[in-house]
Order: sequence, then structure tokens, then C-alpha cells
Amino acid sequence: MMRPKSTMELVPGDDETYYLNMGPQHPSTHGVLRLRLHLEGERILGAEPVIGYGHRAHEKMAENRDYLQFLPNTSRIDYLSGMIYNLGYCQAIEKAMQIEVPERAEYIRVICAELNRLTSHLLWLGTYLLDLGGFTPFLYAFDDREKLLDILDSVTGSRLTYCYGRFGGVSMDVDDTFLRAAADYCTYFRKRLDEYHALVTHNIIFRHRTKGVGVMGPELALDYGVSGPCLRAAGVARDLRKDEPYGIYDRFAFDIVTAEGGDCFARHMVRMGEMEQSLNIIEQAVGGIPDGPVLAPKVPKRIRPPAGEHYFAVESARGHFGMYLRSDGTDVPVRLKLRTPSFVHVATMPVVLPGTMLADTVAILGSIDIVIPEIDR
Amino acid sequence: MFRETLIGAWSLLVGMKVTLSHILRAPVTSQYPRERIEMSKAYRNVIRLIEIEEIGSHDCIDCQACVRVCPSDCINVEGERPDGMRKKRATLFEVEFALCSECGLCLDVCPTNTLGYSREYDQAGFRRDDFLYDLLDEWRDKEEGVRTRLREEEAQKAATKAAAASKVTAARKAKDEAAAKEEGPAAAGDAGNSAAEGEA
Repeated sequence: MMRPKSTMELVPGDDETYYLNMGPQHPSTHGVLRLRLHLEGERILGAEPVIGYGHRAHEKMAENRDYLQFLPNTSRIDYLSGMIYNLGYCQAIEKAMQIEVPERAEYIRVICAELNRLTSHLLWLGTYLLDLGGFTPFLYAFDDREKLLDILDSVTGSRLTYCYGRFGGVSMDVDDTFLRAAADYCTYFRKRLDEYHALVTHNIIFRHRTKGVGVMGPELALDYGVSGPCLRAAGVARDLRKDEPYGIYDRFAFDIVTAEGGDCFARHMVRMGEMEQSLNIIEQAVGGIPDGPVLAPKVPKRIRPPAGEHYFAVESARGHFGMYLRSDGTDVPVRLKLRTPSFVHVATMPVVLPGTMLADTVAILGSIDIVIPEIDR
Repeated sequence: MFRETLIGAWSLLVGMKVTLSHILRAPVTSQYPRERIEMSKAYRNVIRLIEIEEIGSHDCIDCQACVRVCPSDCINVEGERPDGMRKKRATLFEVEFALCSECGLCLDVCPTNTLGYSREYDQAGFRRDDFLYDLLDEWRDKEEGVRTRLREEEAQKAATKAAAASKVTAARKAKDEAAAKEEGPAAAGDAGNSAAEGEA
């Protein structure tokens, strides 16, 4: 296992190096993350992330309320892919209690989760380019994201904190307008993807700032438990939707997008490719959605998963989101441990950052797509 | 090196072509305060009591289901059983919207489906009290009339029920008498059964 070299201790008599606090209030951290950097000129010798500024004790809250009451919390852990977390939590409880979900609800879940993945990647694209100094793609990406949020809003009634899933299905049925809007968006967005590639991917300045920067090799990624686009950018083809299919993901044809190099550019390419795969999934799901109820008819009024340990994981926009549940058979969990990807990704920073330049810190931190509340939950 | 400069310059030109093509497109920003935005059909905001047709008003029966399910503990409901009525009516329905997370669980559990969402969207306030919503406010003028009508309906229902019940009692009495004349205790059980059927 690679361990970060400890360079954070002050060395007496060392006048050449200095320490710098990046954050907690820094625009590129998209929240409150503090990086303690040890610098020699502009070269980074050591880095230490300091977390906890956005801690809201979600896991503790889960122990103080019943299973249903924890639902609104789930879309607030990672506010950018709240739908995936929300539906993932529902699926975890359904798996523990063996509740059957109607077909139509499963299709709706897939469509909504993939639309949400698109919004998350689009926001990443916009803000990442903004971090690197490109303002135009940011506006385009946010415009596209806003269109998606309108589609999701029309069925869930909310832009970010959806709370759409229910144990045994979803809270509201979708209509044809929604399905048509989702399908139309796919056609529209394919054209837009080409524009993004022309504007961003092929841009020489972007390439120079991201190629070979912030390399996270497969060995390091696997050692630390990195998942999602960051892992796939290191060349490891792992996607929970394919490897451990949950819901009805095994019915759709899509590829695991990987890239070589593990640098910021590879992570960009993986996310761009994933958006395209999400469009494929949405189109297939919209084409195959059956009629029927959206909520299981026989869901117990009191949610009491059987005593014991339950584990369930979904592929969020950022990676492997796992829920480890310990139940004693009552309607309040004993423990609900949330394994969130950003927490792991930010832990690699002490290894990835040393040796790079200070200006690259922003590029590297942005490319791993961290969401602060998800680190702290 | 020269090659890279050329490729770089070309990539910038390609990017410029994309941005230039956007110049001619209509602006996507809506001028919010001057231009009102239509909220979606499913839009979630502060809850309100919606009209139930048969009642002519809201149908909150003070069952406390929403109060119990609310994760944020922001709903406060009190109610009373009006004189001469079997059903309860709410006398207080307060929502502290500043605490609400708009999860919609209260709508799911409402047994009379009398909860809905408000269509407002630009609530802003300077004090905490500005977010304390009294949901009964819009229904208060109607309440007396509704109660009188409900009371009458209930009384009517009770009267028909009583009439039906007295019929059953009369029938049972007649049967009992007939059975007593013919045979012993075995027939009494049958009479009991038919009475139960009548009530059902």
C-alpha cells in the first residue's frame, strides 16, 4: 500500500519551504474543504486535506428516526446526484425486507437515476472548466443541466432534493409528456456532446492543463478504494451497474467507459463517455417502459427489516455508494453506515498532489469531482 | 513545435465556431422578478389543506398521522369533536415552514387526502414568524356552515341506521317469539345470526 510521505511537520531552520492553507473558503473546493499544503516555491511537497466543515451527522440522524423519516436525508448526502442516493436507499431497504417493486417503477427509477447522473456530470463539466478559467462552457453546461432539472422537476416536484423514491416503488407516476421530454433530450444532447468535444476536449489549452496532471494509477486507485469515473479513468473497468447489477440494469445494453492514463484528461473523457452511455440507457428504458402500478401493493406499514446485517451498493455519479445497515428488528436502525466515494477520493490527495504545481491543485481537485457534504455526511 | 502551434490554433478556431454559432440563438435566461415562472405540476412547497368536494371544505379529522410521520417535526395539529358529531374537526393546523424539508411524506399518509401543495414560490421573510403558516386560515369562515351540514348529515345517517336497527330488532323479536313457541334454545342461536347479518 502506498502511503503519503509525512512532510507536514515543521522543520526548524528550514526557511526555503512554507505552509499554505487552501480553503476552507476557496472557490475551487465547491464547498468547505481545507487543504493544508507544504510548498517549496510553487511546488507541492505535501498535502493534507482537513475535512469536517460541512458535517451534519446524517448517520447519527438515521439512528434517531424510523426508516421512512430518513428518506429526505438521502438526497442531501450528495446533493448533485440525490436521486441515485434516494433510490439506492429505497432499494437497500427493499432488499432487506424482500419487497417486490413493480416493473414500471423499476423503469422509472432507471430513467430518473440516469437523468440525474447527466445533471451531475454536466455540473461537473461546467464548474471544472470554470476552475480552469473557461467561462463559456460553464454557461452552456448549466443551460443543458437546467433543461434536465425541469424534466425531473415535472415529475418529482423538486430540482435537487428529490425524495422521489418510496419503499416498493416511486411516489408519483410519470406521464407521456415526461417520457417524450426525456427521449427528446437524448436526441438534443447528443448534438450538444459534439459541441462540448469541439469546445473543450479538443481545446489545446485544456489539453495542456489536464494531460499528465494528477496521475492516479490503477494500483493507487485500487489501494485506496477509488471508484466511479476516477477508477475507470485509471483503466480499471468496474461499474456496479454492470458488475453487480441492481434494479433492472442487467436489461440494458451499455458499455463501461474506461480511459488510459489516470490523469485529469482521462477523467474528463470517462465522464463525457458516461454521459453518452446514460443517453443510451434512457432511450432503451423510455422505449421499453410497461404500463402498470408504480408502488407495490403490499408494503408493510411499519418498516422493520429483519434483525441482522444488510449491505447494498449502487453506482452513483461519483462512484461506489454503499449502505451498511444493522437492524435489530425494530423500526429504527441500530447503525446505518454510508460509504461515500468522495471521502475516499479526497483521501488520495496526499499521494497525488506532492510533486505537482500549486496551480495544478485546482485542476486535480476539480477533476476528482468531490462533493463536500458527501465527504462529511 | 510548429505543428503543435498550428493544431492549437485550429482547436481554438473550432471552439470559436461553437461560441459564434451561439450568438444568434435566443437568450435562455428568464428575467425572473419581471417575468413569472410557471411552476411544474408536481411542484412541492408548503403544504395546504385542499377542498374535498363532498365536504365543501377541507377534511382534516385531526388523526395526527402527518404529525407523527414528519421527520422535521414541523406540523402541529389540534382538533375537537364538535357537539353532536362523531367525526373530529381540526381547530388548529400550523406548519413551521422554516423547518420543513418538503419531503411529501405527510401527503402520503393523509387518510382523507386533504393535503396538497401550495403554488407559491418566492416566500421570503424577515422574521421566523413569517414562515409559520396557519393552514386553517382560508377555511375558517366556512367552518360553522360545514359543521352544521355535517351534523345534519350525520344525524340523518344515524336516523336511517336507527330505523334499520329497530326493524331488525322487531324482526328478531317476532322470530324469537315464533321460535319460543315451536322449539327450545337451538333456534335462539339462529336468530342471533340473522340479527348480525341485518346489522352488517
